[in-house]
Amino acid sequence: MKRQTKDKLVFWLFLSPALISFIIVVIVPFFMGIYYSMTDWQAVPGIPVNWVGLGNYRSMFSDIKFQYSLFRTFTFTLISVITINLVALIFAFLVTREIKFRNFFRAGFFIPNLIGGLVLGYIWQFIFKSVVPQIGGSLGIDFIENLLILANPDLTLIGLITAYTWQYAGYIMMIYVAALLNVPQELLEASEIDGANSWHKFKSITMPMIAQAFTITSFLTLVTSFKQYDIIVALTNGGPTDIFKGEVVNSTEMLAVHIYNVAFKYNNMAEGQARAVIFFLILSVVSIAQVYNNKKKEIEM
Amino acid sequence: MKKGYVLLLMSLVLTISLLAGCTTSSNEEDMSVVIYQNKVEIGEQLTAFAKQYEEATGNKIIVKTTGGDTPYQDSLKAEFQSDREPDIFVIEGMGGYNTWNSKIIEFTDDEWIDLTDLEFTVDGKVYGFPVSVEAWGLAYNKDLLDKAGVDPATLTSQDAYREAFEKIDSMKEELGIDSVVAMAAGPDMRWVTGLHNFNGYLSAGLPYGDRTVLDKLNNGEVDMQRLTEYADWVELLFEYADETVLITGNYDSQVGQFATGKSVFIHQGNWIDPWFVQNGVDFPMGFAPHASVKGEHNAIFIGAPSFYVINKDSKNIEAAKDFLNYMATSEEGHNYMVNEAKMVPAFNNVTLKPTTPLSANVTEWMAKENGSYTWLQNDMPDGFGMGTLGPIYESYAKGDLDKEGFIEQIAKAIEALK
Repeated sequence: MKRQTKDKLVFWLFLSPALISFIIVVIVPFFMGIYYSMTDWQAVPGIPVNWVGLGNYRSMFSDIKFQYSLFRTFTFTLISVITINLVALIFAFLVTREIKFRNFFRAGFFIPNLIGGLVLGYIWQFIFKSVVPQIGGSLGIDFIENLLILANPDLTLIGLITAYTWQYAGYIMMIYVAALLNVPQELLEASEIDGANSWHKFKSITMPMIAQAFTITSFLTLVTSFKQYDIIVALTNGGPTDIFKGEVVNSTEMLAVHIYNVAFKYNNMAEGQARAVIFFLILSVVSIAQVYNNKKKEIEM
Repeated sequence: MKKGYVLLLMSLVLTISLLAGCTTSSNEEDMSVVIYQNKVEIGEQLTAFAKQYEEATGNKIIVKTTGGDTPYQDSLKAEFQSDREPDIFVIEGMGGYNTWNSKIIEFTDDEWIDLTDLEFTVDGKVYGFPVSVEAWGLAYNKDLLDKAGVDPATLTSQDAYREAFEKIDSMKEELGIDSVVAMAAGPDMRWVTGLHNFNGYLSAGLPYGDRTVLDKLNNGEVDMQRLTEYADWVELLFEYADETVLITGNYDSQVGQFATGKSVFIHQGNWIDPWFVQNGVDFPMGFAPHASVKGEHNAIFIGAPSFYVINKDSKNIEAAKDFLNYMATSEEGHNYMVNEAKMVPAFNNVTLKPTTPLSANVTEWMAKENGSYTWLQNDMPDGFGMGTLGPIYESYAKGDLDKEGFIEQIAKAIEALK
């Protein structure tokens, strides 16, 4: 056997387990999903599957609940990408300073990330339902004591973003820490000699040097916020209700939760699948645009 | 070069066969009856009973339990998509039947059919074995009612309730309660409003088994008269409920309010009994009827929450039928249902009586002439009760909708079912 052939064989041999699993669990279901989204499939063996063309897609866009969910998901994603990155960056700056217990803080900020989303959701539900009114009561402030955070759509969204930021900022902080430690000290010193103040240093040296980290962190936060499911289910279960275009809607039923509910609670598998296809398209477009845009800002040393 | 491709092909085949090797089924499972059920709380007891059955008859029963946090219907679909089809599984009324009717068989001359009124039937054909009986009314704390001087036997109409609620509400301080009723309509409690409470619209005041209002609903027709009367009942319950529990409360806060004597009534069923046992609550209690619509009411909502059905493609249909018959007819089966699993049995040949307070009260209501209203809430389209109606109750509870708005939204939701 020629050496080249042998190399090729080894290459494919090593690739095949991963490749086959990938094809079986990702590629095949993906195309099956697109097919099922154009049928009235119910996931029960024995029931014939009928082709309905684009019917599921049409009913989706005329569904007020879906429109509202889409709008709320964008709001949630936009705000949480900003808060998570801001909080993470501030944390990262703090823990790369010469401060006492630096490693302790690093670990401390990171730990919420190790708690599962469901557990975390219930913890925050307890905080919003019981701890906040208790604090209000002991401070003697009636307004806080009687505040039902999880009954107001906007407060609940803020609460959700708080819980999510608390969970995810620590992880993003670690990426920023790694990037910050890689900023060459000699550049900073040189700029100091040239008379740059802290703001100048941050704007003209640190920011461009960690731009690569920004690409990663904004991609991660964008995608995970958009797909958020477990914290929502545990913390709010989709509620509280809101009125949108004259219809009662669930104010924190983000797309992932919405798709699940349509598919499993209403038992409309095919319609849920159609929404999942659109969900995938939106997410791909948004995240590719974001990565493309951020990549332009990166610099190479 | 060619040799290389042959080798590549062989390596692929090898990997695939390795993957396929994971799915060989064991012989033992083919011979025994697999029961796939959804009540986590009775999983252990059922397994123990299955073992007892195996010792008595030599037939093996495998109990698989899913539920609690994982929705049963989703797992069941996954089970059928794989090749592990169970022999016996659970449906929860018409919705489940509509999904699974191509997979289940009719029971024809089984002994247990004559022993119950709660079997699941469609067009006169029996398809489901009632797992247990559950019931709800407006549960009351007898001590507090006595203190307030209200006789629960008089609570039979909306007017009587309004009078009693006003009286109790004026004695709040004396009784040490936060609100008259422990009622919950929040996002976690949509089964209480969208299913249980709404069932009053479907069946209260009608003879047992009357499905006219439900049939109309499934055709997208609204009974405006009933709906308006029913909205008065919802208003009454919401008005005398504690705001925090009503809007954001979960199961524990609702049951907790009642159990700690902070409310006189609670809108729940006999499934809250274990909560009282675990927490050492022992005041006397019972059920009063829901006055969901105008008129006199002397019945509570009694039904079977779930039914065992048999898979048409099972290789062990006879063995599965034998097991269900044994459960309904043998003393061991009765002991399992009543004493071990703490259920209210659906069969009239059972002489054992439940010991927990609300379940005991349910058997009293069952013995009464015309003491039951039908359970129809599970026969609405999937997701309609909790997904579509539940949020409307929440908006009404919060004040985003007034009573007219509430009626209008419910009517609109029903009309959309056309």
